[in-house]
Amino acid sequence: MRFIIDSEAVSNELAAPEHMRLRLRVPEIGKAAKPGQFCMLRVAEGLYPFLRRPMSFEQIHDDGVSILYKIEGEGTALLAAIQPGQTCSIQGPLGNGFPIEDDFERHIIVAGGIGVAPFPALAHALKQETGRAPEVIIAARTKKFILCENLFHESGCAIHIATDDGSAGEKAFAADMLRRLAPDGKSRVYACGPMIMMETAAEAAAETGANCLVSLEARMACGDGACLGCVVESLSDHEGEKMVRVCVDGPVFDASEIDWKAHNYQNDV
Amino acid sequence: MKNPVTVASGTFGYGQEFGQYFDVSLLGAVTTKSISLNPKAGNKPPRLVETPAGILNAIGLQNVGLDKFLSDKIPYLREQGAIIIANIYGHNPEEYAELAGRLEAEGAADAIEANLSCPNVHDAKSAKGPVLAAQDPEAIMRYTQTIRQATKLPVFVKLTPNVMNIQEYALAAQEAGADGVCLINTLMGMAIDPEKRTPLLSNTVGGLSGPAIRPVALKMVWDAARVLKIPIIGTGGICSAMDAMEFILAGATAVSVGSMSFRQPDAALLVVKGLEDYCKRHEISDINELIGSIKT
Repeated sequence: MRFIIDSEAVSNELAAPEHMRLRLRVPEIGKAAKPGQFCMLRVAEGLYPFLRRPMSFEQIHDDGVSILYKIEGEGTALLAAIQPGQTCSIQGPLGNGFPIEDDFERHIIVAGGIGVAPFPALAHALKQETGRAPEVIIAARTKKFILCENLFHESGCAIHIATDDGSAGEKAFAADMLRRLAPDGKSRVYACGPMIMMETAAEAAAETGANCLVSLEARMACGDGACLGCVVESLSDHEGEKMVRVCVDGPVFDASEIDWKAHNYQNDV
Repeated sequence: MKNPVTVASGTFGYGQEFGQYFDVSLLGAVTTKSISLNPKAGNKPPRLVETPAGILNAIGLQNVGLDKFLSDKIPYLREQGAIIIANIYGHNPEEYAELAGRLEAEGAADAIEANLSCPNVHDAKSAKGPVLAAQDPEAIMRYTQTIRQATKLPVFVKLTPNVMNIQEYALAAQEAGADGVCLINTLMGMAIDPEKRTPLLSNTVGGLSGPAIRPVALKMVWDAARVLKIPIIGTGGICSAMDAMEFILAGATAVSVGSMSFRQPDAALLVVKGLEDYCKRHEISDINELIGSIKT
């Protein structure tokens, strides 16, 4: 069941420099959403910006959801101006979430930058449903950009921090941290972040025989599979399609399905 | 059509994508994504850029191909009881004719909309460079006649706004036996990332849609309506019933809601309801009375 409804902003607060957390009261979506799914938020009442913005669910509760976002452009700047009590049109839940499966001995989350957004909900669900809290690698530019650490603590996760400058945790790349955790064929890796980080994490996971899921991000118009704007090139014959849609075929994909070499990194934000 | 509101091809998928939000059979018709004889992968990403009050796209006619369209997409629309306008795309007149003929034979369409105007594929070439069939009146006639001979279904020709004088092109479609024209497809546009000094679309250029193009579309409908005897489906940035009324007053017999369905999935249904309200408010018993009734 998908909804297009008005939610009420409960709070909209700074989570780190340039990063905000928006809590929305919207029980219909809170009850229906699964970790890894996303919603489309309308950012303006007028016709500019015209499109909704795709946002994954950071936390999912019976009475609503929270959205973690980076202020990047005009749309997210307008989101950042939302005041508590204001209404915000939300469409969702959309896409396929992460499978929550008990067949793995280890669950390892690899989060890069704002790519951490879908993982607090996943960590919570894995702990609740499999009894095993995932291990989490949080990779960030510097110490002040480390997000969601407290939420992962609450789920009982072992946390490994990597920063580009060594200002917190280790000065390391996410994929190298992953190699050091030595996953194996009984491990599942969940990666979300810049494309290059997901590609290298997927490589590191593949070396060890671990299963790797990635959650992709793309510019999209509809979120429903109609506009065909959010496609990525796939290696597998995904229902006969070479191009897969991030919105409805994903956003969670098995990393081996994605044609990483076809991706043009020049286009990344 | 059950009412004068349909959706623009390419903005509504194959209908099922929006069926989870509302009963798509309540629309006058569902116009489906351009279908070609064989599946098309479309252009490489990025394919989409948001621009002021609009969207620039270069999808490149990605579609599942006719066979899968017939087996996987049409049954849903038929079960819902939707009127189907099947938008078709081919590399030459014969492919359009084959598509139209097979769609009719399979009972898969109630009308055909021939897309002679997609700006994002480069199949048609002239000596001067890429040209769309819809940018050449002689080609419009040749394509339309061939399709006309292949089917008894109503044939609509979707034209491009990227021409000097739309009347000439619309008249070519009428003369060749089209039952109507659809105006307008997207306006050619582009967007550049000044920091990287690269285009924002992999295809460099794309088609602009959304409310940004509405006044241009409206004027083209008005221009065409003054010379045509056949009906016009007006489209281009329609977001509300009031927008739709502008097109009807300018001479459109029906309208299609395009990019707005991306922002508001049930936008087309809201236009249906809004037109009913408009007629009640103005005590109009038949909306057809208002077609082209602009007071100038």
